[in-house]
Amino acid sequence: MINKENKSDIIISSVFGLIYSLIFSFLIIEDVSNIMKLIYSVITVVFVGLIAKDIKSKDENDFTFKLIKKLSFGFLFGWILWPNFGLLIGPIIGFYLASMRKVDATNFSFQKYAWNQFKKNKIAAISLYLLVLLVLIARFAPIIANHQPLYAVYKGEVMYPAFSDEKTTIKITDPVTGEEEKLQFDIINWRQLNLESVIYAPIPYSPGKSDKYNRSSSPNSKQFFQNKKGELLEVSSRFRHHLGTDLIGADLFSGLIHGTRIALKVGLISMGIASFIGIILGAFAGFFGDRDLKMRRVKYYMTIIGLFFGFFYAFGQRKYIISDGFMQNSTEGVIQFSISILIIFTSTFLFRLFSRIISNNWLNTEVTVPIDSFISRGIEILNSIPRLISIITITAIVDRSLTVIMIIIGVTGWTGIARFTRAEFLRIKSLEFVQASKSLGFSSIRTIFKHALPNALAPVFVSIAFGIASAILIESGLSFLGIGVPDDVVTWGSLLSGGRQDSASWWLIIFPGMAIFITITIYNMIAEASRDALDPRLKS
Amino acid sequence: MLKYTLRRLLIFIPMLIAISLLAFIISINAPGDPVDRLTKAAGNEGGADQQSGTAKKDKEAKRKQLGLDLPIFYFSIGDIASSDTLYKVQDRDHRENLEVLTHQFGNWIAVSNYYHALLSFQKSLQKINIDIIHQQDSSIDKVKSHDLLINLKNNIAGLLTLSKVSLVNSRIENIDEIINNNNIFNAISQEFKLIKEVRKEMELKQTRWKTYIPSVKWYGMNSQYHWWLLGDIFHLKKTERKGIIRGDFGISYADSQPIKDKIWEKVGISFTLSLFSILIAYLISIPIGIYSAYKKDSLADRGLSLILFILYSLPTFFVGTVLLLLFANPDFLVWFPESGIKDPTIWSNHPEWSDSVWDIFNWEKIKHQAPYLVLPLFTYTYGSFAFLSRIMRVGMIEIVSQDYIRTARAKGLSEKKVILKHALRNSLLPIVTVFAAIFPMSIGGSIIIEYIFTIPGMGTEMFNAILNYDYPMIIAFFTLIGFLTMVGYLVADLLYAVVDPRISYK
Repeated sequence: MINKENKSDIIISSVFGLIYSLIFSFLIIEDVSNIMKLIYSVITVVFVGLIAKDIKSKDENDFTFKLIKKLSFGFLFGWILWPNFGLLIGPIIGFYLASMRKVDATNFSFQKYAWNQFKKNKIAAISLYLLVLLVLIARFAPIIANHQPLYAVYKGEVMYPAFSDEKTTIKITDPVTGEEEKLQFDIINWRQLNLESVIYAPIPYSPGKSDKYNRSSSPNSKQFFQNKKGELLEVSSRFRHHLGTDLIGADLFSGLIHGTRIALKVGLISMGIASFIGIILGAFAGFFGDRDLKMRRVKYYMTIIGLFFGFFYAFGQRKYIISDGFMQNSTEGVIQFSISILIIFTSTFLFRLFSRIISNNWLNTEVTVPIDSFISRGIEILNSIPRLISIITITAIVDRSLTVIMIIIGVTGWTGIARFTRAEFLRIKSLEFVQASKSLGFSSIRTIFKHALPNALAPVFVSIAFGIASAILIESGLSFLGIGVPDDVVTWGSLLSGGRQDSASWWLIIFPGMAIFITITIYNMIAEASRDALDPRLKS
Repeated sequence: MLKYTLRRLLIFIPMLIAISLLAFIISINAPGDPVDRLTKAAGNEGGADQQSGTAKKDKEAKRKQLGLDLPIFYFSIGDIASSDTLYKVQDRDHRENLEVLTHQFGNWIAVSNYYHALLSFQKSLQKINIDIIHQQDSSIDKVKSHDLLINLKNNIAGLLTLSKVSLVNSRIENIDEIINNNNIFNAISQEFKLIKEVRKEMELKQTRWKTYIPSVKWYGMNSQYHWWLLGDIFHLKKTERKGIIRGDFGISYADSQPIKDKIWEKVGISFTLSLFSILIAYLISIPIGIYSAYKKDSLADRGLSLILFILYSLPTFFVGTVLLLLFANPDFLVWFPESGIKDPTIWSNHPEWSDSVWDIFNWEKIKHQAPYLVLPLFTYTYGSFAFLSRIMRVGMIEIVSQDYIRTARAKGLSEKKVILKHALRNSLLPIVTVFAAIFPMSIGGSIIIEYIFTIPGMGTEMFNAILNYDYPMIIAFFTLIGFLTMVGYLVADLLYAVVDPRISYK
């Protein structure tokens, strides 16, 4: 829909997209081959161009301002949540938001209404602020709690150890005596060096780093450290372990702070995966039901054959390429995986295209595909195994890693969202705007994703918020039991399990437990308030 | 009604098959070799003579006994380059390597030749005895030759499991160097040359295009899945395996005992615990729900809602550990004992108390065991208070605003009778059906509680299975719980139709 009016819009947004994607690809992703970077940039530019096609603003003059606003929001969003990869997703989200049409019929917008209702609930508003606080804590955790100083000057050399790589080694020449000294960041004890000027992090300890003079010390006990001369002195209040330490002497406070990162990451990524699968499947199941998906027999069979071939080439034949990619580094693995998904789509598409040629009468009869039944059976099967059991079983057979846990929690949790989406679509299906878009000749997919889905997302949002709470709960349960997450990763659950072994360390039980409790309550409050705001009929 | 039950049952069976397929897929992908695990469990470690002829024959026999020398499923989908006899290869690492090699070169015959050449080289390496050679020619340095021999053995073992071209080439170069520079290995240099020739042939006769063409290979009824699920129902092989259908879950890796016996002992304990917890949850939640509905929006109602909401958000492991900290702590309050479900010294003084849970009518035994169960039961149930009482409350509110309640009140019935006799029966509907749904979940959900309070039930068994990487056990739990949950949902659906006469399924 390119016309004279928005040609300049498209040019501006494409240029923006190109610039950022170039910066992103070449400066930020390091260990990806150049071809991949080029492909990334091209995909992003195409995507941005497609979205920008629809950007329409009431006032031409403030388009650029709006664009910059959305773009920076997108960048910030992506950078806060997921440095590196987020820079790819963030601007896309920003552009998507920019492309949303403003409702100009009346000044009423459901979103604004729901937001006002939400804000009226005092507890929910507080929860939202607390959530923002948690996100900031998580994002800046390495700066808040780090055993390395943020800024240090040693023998004239200015260093930022907290921000540099773990394995950095610096050679320093003493300006007075002229002798050389090698500083290895990962083994030196900063507090014993004669630093001219130093700024430590607010909590000068890293999670999981043992402190042999302060094992299992409670918040009120005496704490010691060894100074340069080797004597044991009592620690000043700047360097106290304010919340105590665990069995090996690792500081609890920094463990809590870095654990926030993991908790939020787990919540968002697992629910992201779950909502992606759930929304798409639920939308198709609800919209088409059992009777509305009609296609020629030939196309139906060709779709199945195309899917079969697609899976064969994507995951059968490429099995080794994908696993090699993951072994190399996770970005490469994700890229190979996405290529596989692309292959599935391409193959299905090609086979469906081929079906247009066939002219046999029997093959050309219209059949109904009962897609609702298929998807509902799938939901039932997945629901029939308790979630914790299936997660534990699958964790037992794969390697221990946090990413795997997140994916598994996501893949086992999409059924609730699918059910809600399906129910909403069953309701929306009979509304007039859906029929209008059908009669205008829009394809079903466009009707689903552009017109119906934004209206169906209300209960899904509530479900997602509850889902994040339960994902965090499951992950902390797993790390409490000690399965699934590798031993060196510090999460709230693992801190709690340390407290269980030695029942005298009450601080190891209370503080991580309260952290989990508060986070879950925050999400539950937000979910409840959203439910009340979005659908007053459900107010309990 | 009957038609509905029949229809539900008909759908039930494919779902069971689907769950069994899922469990089977997970069990196949479990890492490690079952034969190795079981021989280790039985206490016969291979040791130095692992590669010797007799040990290998034993392993093959054991493999056959377990039914692992069969193809995995009734059919397999692959490309035309891969072989259909790959399942016969004994060693799992070798098997996986051969798959990768076939995928790399696309020519199964050449890969098979390569594999056999490597195996025969390994065999002849076994036959070399340094001592005998030393007896014949004493100028040879015994120690150095031993080292070289071990080096060769390592290299060939590595070659059997490697596929990356650079690594393979470096190993071949190592072997080449050792053989060429030492005369003692002249006898086997012919075989090594064969290896090099075969490898070259493999590289020359690459047919990678073959990996792009799919093909389906049929294996018939003789497959691992068939034996795993159905066992020896036609008495074909006359083995002991009864299959999952008849409850034979296989043999545990931890101590080579049949899993069925191990599970059966522990089920009773977890079962009783979950049953009691559900009963208590209902007993407490229903009155709370009724009261909240009755005094809607009062201070009591809102206060209760708040407390229940907080309880709902507290993680179970947190509450359990805190309870232990407070009430079973030698430093603080010792109202309840710390772990387990019985005191071994007192228990042994009463030989008439049996371990079995079915014998609960012994008052003494109950008195002894009750304190142990208080904390676990509370931890189990508190979460459901919020859930159940809320369902109850919502149901009651809806019903109390109905017309027939107004009629009952207008008739002059006492308030108590109105609520307990008329409203309650109708609002019990969702509660009753929730029971059948909660029940199977309770078997699985108790892992955390049994871990915290060290209760020797099914949850602890599963946890130990996970720690020991005891895959048959884990899969057995998975399948069992899956089946039970499906049965639970079926019962819930049927109960729903039975309890509410308005619902009729056509």
